[in-house]
Parts: sequence; structure tokens; C-alpha cells
Amino acid sequence: MADKKTGVYICTDCEIGEKLNMEKVTEYINEECSPAVMKQLPFLCSKQGVEEIKKDIDGEGINRVCIAACSPRVMWDVFDFGPDVLTERVNIREHAVWSFRDPGLPEPEDEELADPLTMMVRDYIRMGIARLEKSEYPEKEPLDAVMNVLVMGGGLTGLKAALDNAETGYDVVLVEKEDKLGGFAAKMYRQTPTKHPYTQAENPDIGELIRKVESNDKIKVMTKSEVQLIKGAPGRYIVTVNSGGEEQELNIGSIVLATGWKPYDANKLGHLGYGKIKNVVTNIELETMAKEGKLVRPSDGMPVKSAAFIQCAGQRDPEHLPYCSAVCCMVSLKQAKYIREKDDDAKAFIFYIDMRTPGVYENYYREVQDDPGIFLTKSEIQEVSEDPDGQTIVKVKDTLLGEDLEVAVDLVVLATGMVSTISDEAVLKLGYRQGEQLPDLDLFNGFADSNYICFPYETRRTGIYAAGCVRQPMSMSTAKDDAAGAALKSIQCLESVNRGLSVHPRSLDPTYPKFNMVRCTQCKRCTEECPFGALDDDEKGTPEPNTPRCRRCGTCMGACPERVISFDNYSVSMLNEMIAAIQVPDDEEEGGYRFLVLVCENDAYPALDMAAMRKHKWSASVRFIGIRCLGSVNTQWIAESMSKGMDGVLLLGCVYGDDYQCHFMKGSELCNKRMDNIGETLERLQVEAERVQQKQVAIDQYDQIPKIIDDFIEEVEGFGPNPYKGF
Amino acid sequence: MATRIDPDVKFIREMQAAGGESLKKCYQCATCSVICPLSPEESPFPRKEMVWAQWGMKDKLVNDIDIWLCHNCGECSDYCPRGAKPADLLAALRNTAYTSLARPAVLGKWMSSARYLPILFIIPAILFLIVWAATTGLTIPEGEIIFAKVFPTLAAIDPIFILVTIFVIFTFIYSVGRMLSSFREAGFVPGENSPSLLSSLGGVIKDQVLTHVKFKDCETNQDRYPGHLFVFYGFIALAVVTGIIAAAYWGDKLFDVGFTTPLALWNPVKILANLGGIALIVGLVYMTRSRLNQDPKMTVNSYFDWYLLGVIWVVVVTGFLAQIFRLADAASLAYTIYYLHLVTVFMLFAYLPWSKLAHLVYRTVALAYARQIGRAGFRE
Repeated sequence: MADKKTGVYICTDCEIGEKLNMEKVTEYINEECSPAVMKQLPFLCSKQGVEEIKKDIDGEGINRVCIAACSPRVMWDVFDFGPDVLTERVNIREHAVWSFRDPGLPEPEDEELADPLTMMVRDYIRMGIARLEKSEYPEKEPLDAVMNVLVMGGGLTGLKAALDNAETGYDVVLVEKEDKLGGFAAKMYRQTPTKHPYTQAENPDIGELIRKVESNDKIKVMTKSEVQLIKGAPGRYIVTVNSGGEEQELNIGSIVLATGWKPYDANKLGHLGYGKIKNVVTNIELETMAKEGKLVRPSDGMPVKSAAFIQCAGQRDPEHLPYCSAVCCMVSLKQAKYIREKDDDAKAFIFYIDMRTPGVYENYYREVQDDPGIFLTKSEIQEVSEDPDGQTIVKVKDTLLGEDLEVAVDLVVLATGMVSTISDEAVLKLGYRQGEQLPDLDLFNGFADSNYICFPYETRRTGIYAAGCVRQPMSMSTAKDDAAGAALKSIQCLESVNRGLSVHPRSLDPTYPKFNMVRCTQCKRCTEECPFGALDDDEKGTPEPNTPRCRRCGTCMGACPERVISFDNYSVSMLNEMIAAIQVPDDEEEGGYRFLVLVCENDAYPALDMAAMRKHKWSASVRFIGIRCLGSVNTQWIAESMSKGMDGVLLLGCVYGDDYQCHFMKGSELCNKRMDNIGETLERLQVEAERVQQKQVAIDQYDQIPKIIDDFIEEVEGFGPNPYKGF
Repeated sequence: MATRIDPDVKFIREMQAAGGESLKKCYQCATCSVICPLSPEESPFPRKEMVWAQWGMKDKLVNDIDIWLCHNCGECSDYCPRGAKPADLLAALRNTAYTSLARPAVLGKWMSSARYLPILFIIPAILFLIVWAATTGLTIPEGEIIFAKVFPTLAAIDPIFILVTIFVIFTFIYSVGRMLSSFREAGFVPGENSPSLLSSLGGVIKDQVLTHVKFKDCETNQDRYPGHLFVFYGFIALAVVTGIIAAAYWGDKLFDVGFTTPLALWNPVKILANLGGIALIVGLVYMTRSRLNQDPKMTVNSYFDWYLLGVIWVVVVTGFLAQIFRLADAASLAYTIYYLHLVTVFMLFAYLPWSKLAHLVYRTVALAYARQIGRAGFRE
């Protein structure tokens, strides 16, 4: 590789030129960094500006380009000079010019100092150059991936995901536990409406889907089969499948988890009469009765002339299932019609907490409600008991009729809810160091969900995409959409790992964590803390990276006390160099305080940009460094900053906890734990622990950023300057 | 104590057939009760009627006094987010009351569907044909057109209509008694300090019936106010005319003081009669037009509505035509039209307790009872 030759290009538009003392900045950069080329150009992102840079690349042999202009979040496609040129974007527009608030310091006597804005821009450009100096050309880890998809579960979602994958051109292996495909959808008498005007229940149409799957050459269907073990990584999984006692190993690229749901155990619903009164059945049992044409009382075989449906039989009850199962209201409306179908004088009562028929399903609710023999009321169930003449009495209170009431019916139907198939049994059986199940955040009640807004289908195991009711309780229509979503994700995974690129959320990132095993002490922090279980280890505890599983968050890098882990363009030492490039005035009264702010690139960094674009201003004593995730923050950076005399370090990252927004699930939470340890260390050194703080920012809280920064600074300035300043 | 409920599905279907076809669509948001300008503050209507109807709670509904407090302005139906048309349900409940309160019940059944209209028509048609046959042998008499030649007052008209009146009065005494006891059954009982029913009745007639003040309170549907007012006073005028003529006839017969019909056009009684007839026509035009212009999404016109409107139209039109043909000396047309007039007048009055016109009695009494027990609208 050619020598490092750096060119610095400073844009003078977007107020940069008019606000900045360009002469002082360039003079300093020339002196301190001596770049091969340094130019101030108007309107740098214009064709002429870019041409100018390209001319230097071609003519002068510049191979490292430092663009001091706008945020790297904009114009990223404009400043792309190909794989042979490393580009660093120094955000002097949002971070400096636009958000600059003059602290009103006196003219500095110290020759090395300058006015605050000049010093700020000088720092940022120096930091950018330092980063370029330490960056390597990104090197991909190539992989000859197996380009097929394993679909686990042959119900509606699995069938649809298999078909979608196959029709997109990928080979599919469909593994189904039962001897027939179709799952619950195939066991229904009628299905809730799927077509305009959404007013009539339909005959199940799953048969058509099964036929399409079975006749598709690209889909290999394995019924009566179960996954025994999943080893490896995306693109090179080795999956052991047991088919009727016979085990075989399959090479698999990515996996769609569509094992669906199972009904909540009605035996736990004794208070609603289940197991005690024969004529109390579940909605699943009623469906079977209807399918078999036997709508009779289980106690004596008499025809059912009246039925009471109890909604939320276990759901939305902290003692049972704390969540709504999404479909039971529609199912009971459908089943109430079964009762009415053969007898125009039959009656069906539906006792609900809320009638939840979202969106267009409201049409079906209206249609069923219009039936003179169907009676609905909000209510609370008080008692389910048996009458001597064989009827079942349902007593309810808090009804819409304004009084407590009871009905005597032939059949009571409990609308039981959905439980994810993975909630209490290891369906996946992963051969991963972190365990065979998906790690549970205890936020999704056992469902294989992730943040449903930002990362649908993604589980915390890269390459495994959950769809359908294993992920969330949902209707069949939603499950079909889900199947398509997960199928696309599984394809994205195949295509990315096959090119040696990160899958998500840092899609197409070629860099990956590299381990310098020589210095590893086998402390296992990286293997344990990786939010995605990317690392296995050998018996001694030496980490075994599985790059295709990795999401490139750098949490391992932040965890490693020996700094053995680094990326080509992101490492502990690189940030140390950047921190070192910040000029800290010895006397805070002359040059001001200095604070380092480590900003998570996912939400906090864009929030900063948004704040600056909206002309919010904040203290001029902060220096921002964008990082991949707070999880990647290595305590070295804090030590480096504090020891060089900076007055405090602020970490801006995503919200963690129940409503977490961390793009790597656990990064900001892990960082918070590490900061507790740092606080203890600081106190031992007689430095206030509050000088290092972590704040959570959601992307829509950009307007609060100035206050967060200023409040932090005000608090730390209360302690006075860093006692180690000047040492 | 929980009430055992066993919905009457048949009753629901009956109410749907009687005009409340959308009643099941209600989801009990109570917009109707909030928007209603006449509903009382305490357990307001029509929300509770909607839920009772949906659940087929016949016992509650047949004893409900609030259906008479409603003057059917339709504001609730206009605002109903589900198109459940509460106003139509209350109208249907009143229709059900017309057919079920009075005895014999078979008349209620005949009045409830167009299917039975021929029976209702044929009874007076045969009756007056018999009269005609007996007087002139179904021929048109010669000479000056005097309707009494064919339908003699003393021998036919008066006996028939006096009997009809007695029948109607006794029917109402019976059915009003049933209605009041049903109110009491529902727990609406006058307190110790309540005024008497009679004084309440006087108050209601004076304050509400004569002024039509409730119609004015129904702001959304102001069109109905003049229509109903014209028809109401048209009928009053014609009732006065009928009273004068009957009195004059019997005065003439018994004491030789009085007069007999036909009267000259300038006769004040005749003028009043024609003015009453014109008022009726004007009111009918208003009413018919507003029914035809109604948005079918907001309200549905039931058979009860059209029966009453239709019969009154025929009564008025035949009345005027009979007079015109009489003056034009077109004997055969005049007598035939007068025959039809008598048939429809019979249909209007003999079946009154089972028709929508019975509201004139039921509503007045129910409003008096409501006043007696102190069940007043929110704005009263």
C-alpha cells in the first residue's frame, strides 16, 4: 500500500466561511499536522468541489481525504472516492459553526490558544486527521455462503415464508413437527374474513398454500421432523434434523423461525369452570367441534342452543397472560356465528373487557353485532357455575346494561390466548456458547420479538428471523405479511454474509472485529457480553469469533480490558489518538473547560445534527466523537481524557430498559454498568464520579440536547477544573 | 343480585320489522343521550332503550315511559357514529305500543303491515255499501246533491260513528289503564307531593300540546314543527265543525233550532271547515315532503308512518273533492267520492287506538304522567 498522504478540504459555505477565522485554522493545522494538501473551497459538495478533490487524488496521490464540512450523515454519496481512498468527514458545520455559542472568554494571552470557535474547529480537524492516520483499508472477511433458507414450522407463516423465499429464487428446507402441513389454519372450520368487505367468515384457504409449497421444486418439505441442533453461523449453519427417528445434517444459510403459538393451558382457568364443568370448553375445542359438525353439549350430547363466550380468558390478566392475544375477539365473533348458523333462535353472548377488532376488522364486528341473536357487553366475569338442569350459569358485573346480570347457556366458550412456542421449550436448540435459546429480554412475554418499530423479525441471533405468532400474537393476514418480512430479512442476511458484509443494523459494513489473540487473557468478557452471542470459546476460554453472527457494534471492544479487539476503522487506540488531538487549555479561565462527549451514532448523533440544524446552541467547551454504540466505549478512553486534563466525559446514547431503543439491545445498558465501575475508580483517585455521566436520548428528544449538555457542564464546573489538569 | 336475562330474539326481530332495523348496530357510546334536547338527566334515553332492545329485554321496553318523551327529532340518529338510528328504535317502540296496548290484539296485527290493509279497507267499504244499498239500492239519486240521501245522518252516519266513538273511547280507557300500570310496574310511581294526574294533564295540554313547544326544542328538525302544527289545528278545526254540525243536527231534530247540511259556502261553520281542511293539506304537504326528503341513512319511514299519512291524505282529498263535485253538480262522482271519504274516515277513527294517531292519547297521557312523577327533560 502506498504511503499515507492526507488532504484536508474545508468547505466555506453553509456559514462556515463567514463565521470562521479560516487563516488561523489553516495555519495551525499546517503547523500541527502538515497535510500534503490543504484547501478551502466554496460549496465543497458541488461538482466543482468534488472535482477539485478528485484532481488531487489523481494528481497528488492523495489517498486519505479529510472533509471538514457538514455532518457525515449528509452528502455521504457525494464524498465517496472509491475503495482506494479513505475519507473522514469532520462535522464542523453542525458540531461547531451552527451550534456554537460564544462563551465570551477574554482574548487569550497564551499563543497556543485562540478564540473558542477557532480552537474547536482546529480540534475537530486534528481529530479527523488522527483518525485517518490510524485507519486501515477495510478488509472484508469473505465467506462462501450456503444460499438457502431453513423455515421452521409448516403453519400459515412458515408456508408463506417458504413460498416467498422460493419464489424469490432461494432454496428452502421446510421443517414441520406434525405429519401434515397447515398448522392451526388447517384445523379451522372457518377463518375470519381476509377479503373486502371483511364481513363474512371464509372457508379455510390454507390448502391452496400447502399445494403451492408441496409442488414447488425449490422447497424441500420435511414433516414429522424436528430441529435437533443448530451450529455455525449465518451462511454456514449446520443443522441437525430428526425426521421420524432418523437424524441428518443440513447445510443452511439463514433461518426463518415460524413455529407459531400454542393455546394457553386452560387447566389454569379453573375459576372460569374449565375442568370442573363439562360444558365449559376452549375456543380451540369449539373450533374442532364445529369442524366435526358436532356442536353439542359435551355433558349430554344435546344441541347447543345458547353459548356464552368469555373473552380474555387468561389474557390481560397479570396472573395468567399479561398481554392481548390479538385474535380472540375476532375468533369469538366468528364462533358466535357457528352457534347461530343452524338455529335462527339460538343465542350467543360475548362478554368482553374491550372488543378489539382493529382496522378493517371493525367491519366484521359490525356485521356480527347486527345479528339479532348475538349479544355483546363489556363486563367482568363473577362466576361460572352449573345449573341442576345441565345449563351453565355465567354471572357478570359492570355491564353496559347498567346492572349485574346472569345468563343460563348450554355451552361456555373460553377465548383462551396465544403462548409463543419458544416461551418454555428450546425450539431452536442452538449450539452457541450463550445458550440454545434466544436470549430473553423479559420484555416480550416469551415471544421472539425485538423492537417492533425499528427491528421487526430480527432476533438477537443474526441469521434467525422470527415471523408470525412465535413473534407476536397476530391475525392470519398479519402473519402473511410477517412471513414476507422475515423472508426478505433472511435473504438480506444470505446476500450480505455471502459478500462478507454486516447484515444489520450496520448494513453493508465491511469491517469486523479482529482479535489479537496473543494478548488475550481469556477473561471471557467479550464472549459473555456480546449481545448477539457471536462469540463461542474453546475450553480454555479463548474467544472463537463467528463473524457472520456479528453486528459490528463493538461491545466486545468496549468490554476487553486488554484492548485485543479492533476494527479496521474503529479501535481503542484510534479514539485515544483522537482524544489526544484535543487541545486542553491549562487554565480554564483563559481557554475554558474541556469536555469529551461520546455520541452514539444511531440516535444521539442524528439528534445532535437535528438540534444544530434547528439552530439550537450549546456550550463551546464540548468536543464530540461519534461512536458505534455506547457498548463499544472502552474505559481506556475515559482514563485517557481524564488524565490529559479534560474536565469531564459525557456519554450520549440510546434509552435502555423496558422501552429500550439501543440498536444493539444491550449496548447502552452494558455501558451504564461499566460507568458505575469507572465512578468507583475516579473516587479512589479523589475525582468526582459525576465528571463521567451517561445520558439517554431518544431521537425525537433533539430539542433537549442543549439542556442535557449545558446541565452536565454546569454540574461539573461546580466541582472546579479537573485536579489533574496540567500534569 | 344479578338479573337473569333470556333475550327474546323474536321480539328483536319484531322491533326491527317495526322500524328499528338498525338497533343492533349500537355500541353504547351514549352520544344519543348526550345530544338529545329532551332527555332527562337521570337515566336518560335513548341509550338505555338501545341496549335493552339489543338484548331483547321486552319487559323493560314495554313498560318504558321515555319512548313518549321523545318527539322524534332524529338528532340522535344524525349524530350516531354507528348508524344505529336510536330515533327509529323509539319510533318502532311506539309503533309496537300502538299495536299491543289496545284490545282486540288482532287489530294491532292488521295495523302493523301493509299485508292486512285490504281487511282494514273492506270492513268500512262493505258497511257503507250496505247503507248505500239500503237507501238507494246502490244507485245515484236524482235532484240536488245531498249526501244524506244516500248516507242518512239519523239512520246510518250517526249510529255508526257514535258506536265507533264509544268503541274507541272504551278501547282507550282500557289501553291507557294498561299503559299507566306498566309505568308503575317499571317503578315510576307518583310521590306523596305529586300533583294529580288530571292537573298534570291540563298542564301538559296547555303548556306542551297546544304550543308544540317540544317540537321547537328539537332544533335539528324544525321543519316538522309547522307541519305537525297545521295538521293538529286542522284536525281541531274539523273536530269543532263536526261538533257544531252534530249539535245543530240534533238541535234541529229535537228542538227545531239549528240547521242541516249542506251549508252555504259563506256559512262561518263552512268557512271553518274549509280552513281546517286547507290547514290539514298544508300540514300534510310539509310532513310528506319532509318524510320523502329524509336521508335513508339517518332514518327509515315505517309502514305506520305511511299508513297514517296516507289515510289522512285520502280523507282530506276525498272531503274536498266531494264538496267540489257536489258544487259542480257531478252527482255520480260526488256520491262515489263521498263514499270513499266515509270509508277512510272510518279507517282513521275506528282503528285510531292501534294507529300512529293514537299518540295523541298515549303521548298526552304519558307526558302528563311524567309531569306528575317529576320526570322532566334536561332543559325543563
